[in-house]
Amino acid sequence: MLTDWELERYRRQIALFGEEAQERLANARVVIVGAGGLGCPVALYLAAAGIGEVRLVDGDVVDRTNLNRQVLHTDRDIGRAKVESAAGKLRAQNPEITVVATRATLDEENAALLAGGADLLVDATDNFGVRYILNRVALGARVPLIHGAVRGFDGQATMIIPGRTACLECIFPVAPPREDVIPVVGTTPGIIGLVQANEAIKYITGTGDLLTNRLLVWDGRAATMTTLPVERQEDCKACGSGRC
Amino acid sequence: MQVRVRAFARLREAIGGDLTLEVPEGATMSRLLAAVGETSEQAGEALFEESGEIRGYVILMHNGRRVRRAEAGTLTLADGDEVALFPPVAGG
Repeated sequence: MLTDWELERYRRQIALFGEEAQERLANARVVIVGAGGLGCPVALYLAAAGIGEVRLVDGDVVDRTNLNRQVLHTDRDIGRAKVESAAGKLRAQNPEITVVATRATLDEENAALLAGGADLLVDATDNFGVRYILNRVALGARVPLIHGAVRGFDGQATMIIPGRTACLECIFPVAPPREDVIPVVGTTPGIIGLVQANEAIKYITGTGDLLTNRLLVWDGRAATMTTLPVERQEDCKACGSGRC
Repeated sequence: MQVRVRAFARLREAIGGDLTLEVPEGATMSRLLAAVGETSEQAGEALFEESGEIRGYVILMHNGRRVRRAEAGTLTLADGDEVALFPPVAGG
């Protein structure tokens, strides 16, 4: 049962999808891997929407060069752990939810533990090495994963439901090359992060058509958003026949 | 015959937008990719390795269907076809 406080706070979205859906949001645990350009808007909007437990995982500290896009961090947070900086803002935004900050870099050893108990995983990482690990954890635990990535004015997003949709390695069997410094304008992760948060809310509340088997591609220079069809690959090394 | 090319991300920057290319009847996907790469130095770099191989991470689509790199040499195109080329991004 929602409290009077919750009924008031979430009135505008309860009007959209009902009290039961709001209760589902309140009971959901979402693990966001990365508290940077994508992770900040994802976490902020999921906290605002009343996700019961938001877990942030990131091993980095705030750097001045982060501040053009990592909008939960401020000048005063430089040198602080990103997860601590972000968690403080999220708790201020919504004191009724649980925010768990885990300062760690996701790797093959800790991935299953860090993602454990999640209803939903959000890929807000900045490299494909970690993304592939997260994808396999999602497949193994059969927990949906919402992928997002950005560069410059360009971004992409898709939703992966293990066993039902193309997984990350079906779509991207070969990782794009690593760059030491990835140029990016803050609005790009803002837009893609909000697409990811929107998918999370839709998935949990059972609203609308999910971004499954479609890769959303945002071109900020042209101001166009397109979706490209993607499909499961039988020979996928992560989820191909018999593996998932 | 004419084939429409939709380019995304860095490739779109390199080409400047979508393209309609004139290619010989019966041209393969590989032939078309070579023609796209020849439009500018940046387009060539965005699509091809130094070895001349198509970059493995570039997503190739033909009329809305994913094309594997290995198929590019044998997949023949028809007048009015649409090819989409998407080099994914990786930052966060």
